[in-house]
Order: sequence, then C-alpha cells, then structure tokens
Amino acid sequence: MSKPARAVGIEITGVNLSYGATHVLKDVALSIRPGEFFAFLGPSGCGKTTLLRLIAGFAQAQTGKVLLDGQDVAPLPPWKRDVGMVFQSYALWPHMTVAKNVAFGLEERRLPRAEIDRRVAQALELVGLSAYAERRPAQLSGGQQQRVAVARTIAIEPKVLLLDEPLSNLDAKMRVSVRRELRSLQQRLGLTTIFVTHDQEEANTICDRIAVMDAGKVQQVGTPMELYENPANLFVANFLGSANILDERAGVPMPAGKRLVFRPQHAGLTSPEGAALRGPVTHREFLGATVRYAVRIGDSEVLIETPFQSGRELRDVGDNVGVDLPPRRMLFLPA
Amino acid sequence: MQRSPGQVALALAIALFLGVFLIVPVATVVYVAFTEKGGGGLTLVNFLDFGRTDLFVRSFWNSVYVSAMTVVWASVLALPLAYLTTRFEFRGAMLVQTLGFLPLIMPPFVGAVAMQLLFGRNGSVNLLLDEWFDFKIGFMEGLNGVIFLQAIHYFPFILVNLSAALRNIDRSMEEAAQNLGSHGLRLFRRIALPLALPGYIAGASLVFVKVFDDVATPLLLNVKEMLAPQAYLRITSIGIDDPMGYVISVVLILVAVATMWVTALVMKGKDYATTQRGGGGLARRHLRPREQALAYAVVILILALVLAPHVGLVLLSFATVWSYSPLPDGYTLAHYTRVLGDSSVYIKNTLLYAGLAATIDVVIGGAIAYLVLRTRLRGRQWLDWAASTALAVPGVVLGIGYLRAFYGVNMPDGTPLATLWIVIVLAIAIRRLPYALRAAYAALQQISVSLEEAAENLGATKARTVRRVVIPLMTGGLLAGFVTSFATAAVELSAVLILVQSNSDAPLAYGLYVLMQTPAGRGAGAALGVIAVLIVAICMWLSQLAVDRSQRARGLDI
Amino acid sequence: MFRRSALALGSALGVVLASGAGFAQTGKVTVVTSFSKDVTDPIKKAFEKAVPGATLEVQNRNTNAGVKFIEETRGNNQVDLFWASAPDAFEVLKGKKLLSPYKPKATGIAEKVGSYPVNDKDGFYSGFAASGYGIMWNERYVKANKLPTPKDWQDLAQAPYFDHVSISAPSRSGTTHLTIETILQGEGWDKGWRMTKDIAGNLRTVTDRSFGVPEAVNSGQVGYGIVIDFFAFSSQGAGFPVKFVYPSVTTLVPANVGVVANAPNKAGAEAFIEFLLSPTGQEVLLEPTIRRLPVRPETYAKAPADYPNPFKDKNLQGLLTFNAELSEKRTAAVDTLFDQLITFQLEPLKAVTKVLHEVDAALKKKDNAQARALAKEARDLIAAMPITAAQAASPEIKAAFTGGKQKSARQAELEQQWAAFAKEKYTAAKAKADEALKLAR
Repeated sequence: MSKPARAVGIEITGVNLSYGATHVLKDVALSIRPGEFFAFLGPSGCGKTTLLRLIAGFAQAQTGKVLLDGQDVAPLPPWKRDVGMVFQSYALWPHMTVAKNVAFGLEERRLPRAEIDRRVAQALELVGLSAYAERRPAQLSGGQQQRVAVARTIAIEPKVLLLDEPLSNLDAKMRVSVRRELRSLQQRLGLTTIFVTHDQEEANTICDRIAVMDAGKVQQVGTPMELYENPANLFVANFLGSANILDERAGVPMPAGKRLVFRPQHAGLTSPEGAALRGPVTHREFLGATVRYAVRIGDSEVLIETPFQSGRELRDVGDNVGVDLPPRRMLFLPA
Repeated sequence: MQRSPGQVALALAIALFLGVFLIVPVATVVYVAFTEKGGGGLTLVNFLDFGRTDLFVRSFWNSVYVSAMTVVWASVLALPLAYLTTRFEFRGAMLVQTLGFLPLIMPPFVGAVAMQLLFGRNGSVNLLLDEWFDFKIGFMEGLNGVIFLQAIHYFPFILVNLSAALRNIDRSMEEAAQNLGSHGLRLFRRIALPLALPGYIAGASLVFVKVFDDVATPLLLNVKEMLAPQAYLRITSIGIDDPMGYVISVVLILVAVATMWVTALVMKGKDYATTQRGGGGLARRHLRPREQALAYAVVILILALVLAPHVGLVLLSFATVWSYSPLPDGYTLAHYTRVLGDSSVYIKNTLLYAGLAATIDVVIGGAIAYLVLRTRLRGRQWLDWAASTALAVPGVVLGIGYLRAFYGVNMPDGTPLATLWIVIVLAIAIRRLPYALRAAYAALQQISVSLEEAAENLGATKARTVRRVVIPLMTGGLLAGFVTSFATAAVELSAVLILVQSNSDAPLAYGLYVLMQTPAGRGAGAALGVIAVLIVAICMWLSQLAVDRSQRARGLDI
Repeated sequence: MFRRSALALGSALGVVLASGAGFAQTGKVTVVTSFSKDVTDPIKKAFEKAVPGATLEVQNRNTNAGVKFIEETRGNNQVDLFWASAPDAFEVLKGKKLLSPYKPKATGIAEKVGSYPVNDKDGFYSGFAASGYGIMWNERYVKANKLPTPKDWQDLAQAPYFDHVSISAPSRSGTTHLTIETILQGEGWDKGWRMTKDIAGNLRTVTDRSFGVPEAVNSGQVGYGIVIDFFAFSSQGAGFPVKFVYPSVTTLVPANVGVVANAPNKAGAEAFIEFLLSPTGQEVLLEPTIRRLPVRPETYAKAPADYPNPFKDKNLQGLLTFNAELSEKRTAAVDTLFDQLITFQLEPLKAVTKVLHEVDAALKKKDNAQARALAKEARDLIAAMPITAAQAASPEIKAAFTGGKQKSARQAELEQQWAAFAKEKYTAAKAKADEALKLAR
C-alpha cells in the first residue's frame, strides 16, 4: 500500500447489456490505461453505474469482454476479481466497528492477524481516521464514513479502484476537499481508478480522462480539455460546460446536417453592422469577473460572456448588437 | 410528537379493550394461584410447592430444552428457504414462501394422526426402514418427537420474519462484502445474518414462546412432562380444586414476558436493516447450474419434510383403512361426501370468526404499534406488554376466564353474553393479537418518521397523516399480520372448545374435534382438515397477491 | 308467500300448544355430552321424531371440560342435561349441587347391570346404558411382531406384551378410573395395585384422552389397548383390522344422564330421560355406530345374535358389588396415585419391569433360588404403596384435593411425597432386579 502497486489497464470491447427489454449498454468499448484516473460521466440513467458494476462483477453482459490486465474477467465471480469498489451509499456494515469494516476484506483473504492489524492501521492512517477505529459507522459524519469506505477498499490493495458517485452524499464544501484527497491518494498509490459521476466539474477537476456516456453509449473519450475544446457531438458539447447551438436559420453558412456550436466565452460583442450574427440584447447578468449577455438571433438565443473591465460601458437590454466569433472558435457538429 | 387528545383517547380505548377481554378474564382464573388452600388469604406458598415438586421442575427444564431445540431446528429449516428465495434468482420463490407458511395452519388432531402414520413408531417411514434395513428411527418418541413436530409446525414464524428482514437489507451491503472477497456461507454468516438478526430474533422468540406454551402437540405425542401440558391436565381434571394448574399458568406467562423482555434487550440498537438505504433495492444473484441444482434439492427436501403432515392428511382423507402399513389399503371419496353437508356451516363460521378476529387484531395491533413507536404517551409500553402476554395465556385459561367473566352478564333478552358467538371471535382475536402486533411493529419501524413530518409540515393533522401516509405505507405489513392472524385463528381450538355453545355457531376446528373422537370419523376428520387448509391457503394466497401488488405499485422490489 | 308462512307458523303454534298440554314438554333441550356424533346423531333423530316439536341441542365436550363448563356457568345456567359415561363426573356434579334429582317414570329397567347399580341411590342421575371394558388389539401389529392374543387382564403383564400396551389415565378418563377402581375393590387395595403396576410396567403410553387408546391401536402405533367395548366395535365397523375380547372378569360401566340444576327447560330434560329409557330409546342403542348395552333386559330380544347380554352372559355378570360410596371417597387419591406412581414414573417402572422379564426368562432356563428371591423382593418394592386403603379413603387425604377449609396437606405436597416414594422404590427395585439378572445368567 505504501509503495505504488503495479498498475493495471482495463480493456472493454463490444459490451452489450440489457435488462429485459431495456438496452442499458450499447456496444461499449473503452481502453483505460494503467494508473489512470478515469471518469464515467453522464446524466442519470446513462448506464455509467451499470458499466462500473459490470467491471466489479455485479452485472452480466450479453456480449463483449472486460479485460483486466489482459485477462477476461467474465468467468470470475465478484469475490475473485480484486476490484475494489466504493459504493455510493458507502455500504458500511452497521454491526461492525470501523476497524472491523476495514479488516473484513483482509480477513476474507485469510491473512495473518498481525498483518491484518498492520494494514488496517495503515489504511486508517492514510485516510486520517486512526482515532475512530473503534467507533460504529453510525457515529461518524458523512465525510468520515466516505473515508472509511475508501480505507476498507484500498486495504485489500485491489488491482483497480471503482468509485460510484463517492461525493454525492457530501455537502458542497466537503466535496471539494474530499475530491482533492481522493486525487492525491490515487496519485500516491498509482492505482488505476474509475470514478462514476454526473457532475462535470468533479470529473474535470480530478480525472485524467473522461468517457462521456449517454443512453447506454460512450459518446466521447478524452482529457477534460479535449472534450471541452473538441466535443464530438452536441450532447458532449452541451454536457461539458455551456454551449450555444445554432442551425442554418441563424444566417451563417454551414455544412448540411450540421449545427454551429460555440462557447459563450469564445465570442464577443460588436456593432451589428456587418456582423453575420446579430440581434437585440434580451438579458444581462453581472457575474463579477464577467458579464453575461443573452442575445436573440432569429428564433434562438445565444449567451455571450465578456470580461468585465471597470469604466467600460456595458450594453443595455434592447440594444442591437453583433456577435464577434473568430472562425477558429466555430465548431460544426452533426445534429 | 406531542400528545394529542385523540391519541390519549385511543390509548385508553385499547387499554379498556385489553382490560376487559384479556386481563380481567385471566385474572379471575389465575388469582387462585396466589391464594391459600380453601380460598384463604394471599400467599406465595403455591410457588414454593412448584419449586419443590420434582415433576414440575423436570417439566420446566424439559420445556426449556424442547423450546430451545425447536428454535435450532426451525432455524435449520427456515434459513435456507429464506436466503435462497430472497437472495437469488429462484423460480417459484413466491410459491416456496406460500408453501412454507402452510405448516402453521395444521388443523388440530388430524395433523398429529397423519404424522404418526408417516413417522410414528410403525409409520410408513419406519415400516419401510424396518423392512429394508432392519432398523427404526424414533422420530416421534418423547421430547425429540415434540421437537420434530414443533420445528415443522412453527418454523414459518422464523421464515416469514427472516425473509422480511433479508429483503430490507440494502443490496450494497452484501455487494461490498463480495467486492472485498467474501462469498457463499461466509457472506451469509458475516453480513446477511447479522444484518437480518432483528428479524430472526423476532421470529425465534415467537417460536420459543409458542412452543413453551403449546399444549396440543406434546399431548398428542403423549408427552406430559412439560410445563404447558401439566397446566392443561391439571386445570381440566375434574373434582380436584388444585391451584397448581394456575400456578403453572402464571409461570408460563412469566416465561413469555421474560422472553419478550430479553428479546427487546438483545434487539436494542440492532435495528440496522432500515438505517441504511440508498443503494437501491434488492439484486437477486444468479446461481450457476450446479448451485441451482443443489439449491432446488435443498428446498424440495425441506418442503417435503415440512409439508409431510399435509401429505399425510391428504392421504388419510382419501384412505379407506390405513393401519400398520406404509400406504392406505385403498382410496375412497366417501369421507368427503360425508363431511360436505356438515362442513358448509363450519366453513362459514370459520371464515367469519377468523376474518373478524384478524381484523380486530390488525386494527388494535396497528394502533398499539403507532402509539408505542410514534407517541410519547406515558405507559404506552404497557399496552404492548399486555397484548404480548396473550401469547402465553393458555387457551383453556382464557376460555374459562371468559365463562367466568361474561356468563353472568346478560343481554337484554336474557341470554348470557358468553353464549353469543362474538365472544368466540373476541377470544380468538385476543389469542392472535400478538402476531398482528409484531407485524404492525415491523411495518411501522420501516417507515421513516420524516415521511410523516413532511405530511404534517404540509398542513395535515396527526389523524389525517395517519390516514393518508402511515396506513397506506403500512398496508403490506398489516396485511401480513392479517394473514398470520387469520390463518392461525382458523385452526384455533383450545379456547373455542370451551366457548362453543351450539353446533350452528361452531367453527371448523370444533367440527374436526367432534369427528376425531370416533374411529369412523378419522377419514372424515382428515377430509374436513384438508378443506380447512385449502380454504385458509386460498385466502392467504389472495392476500399475498394483494400485498405483492401494493408493494409493486409503490415501486418496492419484492 | 307471507300468508303461507304465517299459516305455517299458526299451525306450528297449534301443534305446540296441543302437544304441550298432552305429551311431554317440547322446545329446545340442551345437552352437554362427551358422546361422539356417531352416538348423538341417531338418538337426536329418534328423540325429535318421538317427541314432536322438540329439538335436541348437542354441545360436544369431553367429560372433564363438560363438568368444568357447567361449574363455571352455574350462575346463569343454560344447559338442561349432562349426558356422559363416567359416574364419577356425575358424583362431582352432585357434590357441587349442580344436578337436580329426577326419578324416571319408566318401568322395566334393571336395578343392576354387571356389578353396578344402574341408578344413583339419591336419584340425581340415571343409567341408560352400559359398556364393558376389555382388550383391543391390532391384528397386523400382532402378526408382524409375532405376539400372542390376550384373554385376561393378567396376560397383559406377561413378558411378550412389554412396550406394546396402551391405557388412558384414570385421572383423564372416567371409565378407566372405574376399571382401576373395580380392580382395587375386587382384588383388594394392595393386590389390586400390584396387578395394576404389573400391567403398567408393560405400557407403551398412558394417554390423556380416552379416544387416544383406540386411535393408537387403529393406526398400529401400539399393539394392545385397554378400552371400552364400543370403541373396538366401532373401529371394526370402520374397517380397521382390530379384535376385541372381554376378559373373564370384566367390568361393566354404566352411561348416565342427569338433569342440571336450574335447567332452563326442565320439562324437556325430563322428556329426554324418559325417551332414553323407553323401549324405542333403548333400541336405538343397538345401532352399529352406538352399540351400547341397554339397561332394559327385554330390548336384547331385538339385538343381533352375538350381541353381549349382561343379564345372561356369565362373564358380564360381575363378581362383586361395586361400592360407589368407597369409590367416591377415594376418587382423587386413586387418580393421583396412578399419575404419580405410574404415569409420571413410567420410565423407571418400565426399566425395572424389562429387567424382571429377562430374569424370568433366564430362570426358566436355569433356576437360581437367590435370583428368584431377589426378583420377588424387587416385585414387592414395585408393589409398595405410600398410603393404605384406609388412608386413601380418609377425610384428611380427601381434603387435600377438594380445597376445603380444613387444615390438611396441600395436594402438591402429597404428590411430591408420593412421587419421591415411587422413585425411590423403583430405583431400589431396579438394583435388586439387576443383581438377580446377574445371578440368573
């Protein structure tokens, strides 16, 4: 645990999974590199948790393979996979103390008592809960419970770590600090980690790469920056940060069947004369560092964020403006 | 959670009901235990006599032994059924759960006769063993025979409670354990069982108390050296004014109360199942073909054993003569034609009495559960304890108590109150109240208080909150309580036998009793028994369907 | 429709009024009885036919529960008649003033059947039928286990019968109580108990219901049962492979009926008694499902050929005059002695009996005087009684069971003394028997 374990990669190919008539995962293929902090990101119901459970062995795919370190895990039951999972509800056993919870997996591996005690102490120290070893889960705060759940999982030194919405039961402030802890822990252990979340900010801030999922399909895989800069489709563009989407009625020439997509930060305001996109300001919000304008263009409305500089005159609601959009910031994505 | 006048009135009404129909009648009978010989002053000398009499002390320990061992064997029968049907993809899980309930509705007398014919000293099994292998097994001999029959008869209490508890465990609890390398029996022992412990203990303590207080089974096996049979034999022996029967009754009640109390102590702070929710409902695990074959083998074996009395009963009901042979000599429908005419009035009465009694039980049980768990009324716990002691009051004590308490009370037309059939209903209702009460408790404990607080926050009064939120959410649990009370009330005999005043008011159990007093009545009794089991089973199955539907409608996985 | 029913009601009323003036009173007659449906149904039918307008309401309870019921509801009695076998139950009711005397008008009823007087000397209850006690056995059981067929009570004490015999407890069955009491009166207190315990050493079970014995024999769980004849005959009637024999000295027990004190329909109750004793009523007793012995000698003329006739058959005549008074005095003592010395000490009693059977078998092969003497000592120890006949009938002992105001021992104390006595004697007897067996082998 102290020295980074040999990290393993995960290959997922051609996975299809249905529950009855519901097609939950469709042709999922992913490659997760050793030691990577990887996220499954998507709205609820997109299949991300099912994919995680598939890796852990709690779901069976109809087709496709999951390779862990090059080995097909399909024949392995959950208890033989060495895949550590932290549950959304933490699933701490209320009838055991914190130390007992953490020792559980080690006991199941029939390690010598002394070794178990050592590793329990180490794991609890790692998450900063050494003082709470003899407490019951019910006596801990949400954040502490979450850390017990993590300690319990990493104590068995799993090949990979799966985190199922680990931050969702924490308050906003806790989330920020816990996610940093998770990131630094992962870095220290060098453990291949999959993080399931519906919150793009969480995914962006701690993950090396993200698989954006929707409707059972992987929409795009990439680093947070790549996804932001080059979303593969409208869903990804919309899900990661805000995006303005316009069709051909906006008056800009675009390839057939495509839409014009651009980020609010990438455009500015100019005078309406000569601008391809123009219309009246319908709304203005002061956000501190920036000012956000809503501009009506045809039937649509686009958002433009411009840096706030004191002394500079602002546009008013009703003013006719033009949208200044550099061509390299224009994305044409399939509808 | 402040007290409201409505709650106080409800508590007083229940206290009055329990006082009039349980405490007063029982007190009129058992006070003898505390009086000196010849109706003199109060004394405890009779309890000293109890401790000084070898027979009673021996009987006491025999009862403890039998009750404890019954819990062990009933658990052995119930655990696999409960675990397999709640945790795995198991075709026929609902059928198993329903069949597993059947042993509780074994009609008196006939069940034991059928079991003697199958497992007795010269029953089918032993005759065949003797013929093939030259040895016999004393299934039905002495205390072990009592344990054998009681375990089969009462294991559904553990099955029902344990299954409910297992269903309430969040699936991530077990998945986390699997994820950490646990599986199979270790997973069950280390995670599922401890988490389901409250449900298991509730069932086990019920079994312990019921076996401790059961009269019929030991007596039908001719085992008299147990406490409850001693009480029964003494109370019903004529010409002897002996306080010891009532002393033993008091001891029985004390043991039952002590068991409940210890159970409550053990359960304190262990009610986990409902504290953790969030990971979604239950995921049934998939069994591999080999495991599946094994699981089915285990389930079928257990079902064959626990349903043996019913199999024997059916055989007996079609048998011409069945004596000292593995199977009947021949088969006939004559027994059914004989009872068909008589039975319609018995069936009607049984459904009416058991239905009314179970309704009373659910209403009062639900109300007591609500008062205890959701209010701060002083002494509310006493309602619970008082209602639970009904578990331990021997049926004959209650029956005699009713005669004493109500025979002197006349209706306006001059007939005594105790001759009305409604008195039978009340007696049955009191005897089965503890079952419904436990079910109501379990149901209410699983409902988060916040749901009620939300309703009150939105402007609903306490009464309307109960009606619109609590009762709908408790429906499943209450219906389960109704089913248990109804099914067991339908075959209740001991108190009924004393209170039945005319054949036209008699329920099935009485008809059975009358038939089973003659050699020619054995087959007819069995036929009536089969009819009783069928009717109760159908009623149970219908309500089970209703429970399932309501659970599903609320999105709860079953 | 209405008119027709009104008409029917009117005519019914007319019949009631007319017959009420002439013949016996009508209306609902309520009986508490221990008799089974097989018995009560034909009699109810015949009674309702013979006495127009009368209905018989039958409450089936076992004898003990019936007595208890009448006792508990005395303050507001709704029962007209108590109808059962055991005279003891009637004695108890009589003692508690729960019966009202009635002298039947019927003539031609025998004074005595077997050794029992038919009617209560004080006129509180009347015998209407009799039944004989005997031994019933399961033929398949006997054949499969290669057992003998018994002829007499003493046979049941023999070695081959060990662990094959069943009886109901006298404290639970009035008729068994009468059998034991008859043996005690016939053989004398000490000899009677010795014989009872000899048989008891071979018992498989002591049941708490009379019907438990024929039930166990019918289903083949035990081989032999000591039962009332009608249990055996109705079992045969139902097709069970059972046989029955009256021992050479049998006991006949009467079945009785009595009017309950403060009966709501006293006239109806009396009408029922008169019907039972009438020639018609007595003939109903001959029906196969009932099969009781009538108390009207002339009725036997109408009986089937092999029907037992206590007024003619030698072995049913009875050798002694039953002393009902003595029986009444020691009822509770006899029952409790049986329970404490036999029912609840059955295991030790059987253990020593088994050894004694083995000693006898060994002695038959090779005699040994010392072993013979030890076996006799063991038998004497078994036969020993904690109280004498005089003590058993004494008011002091009786008081312990009646809860009277007198100063006396409490029942529980006596029971513990007797149980301890039996345990000690049986243990000592077992030691002697074991020693005898060592010597005899």
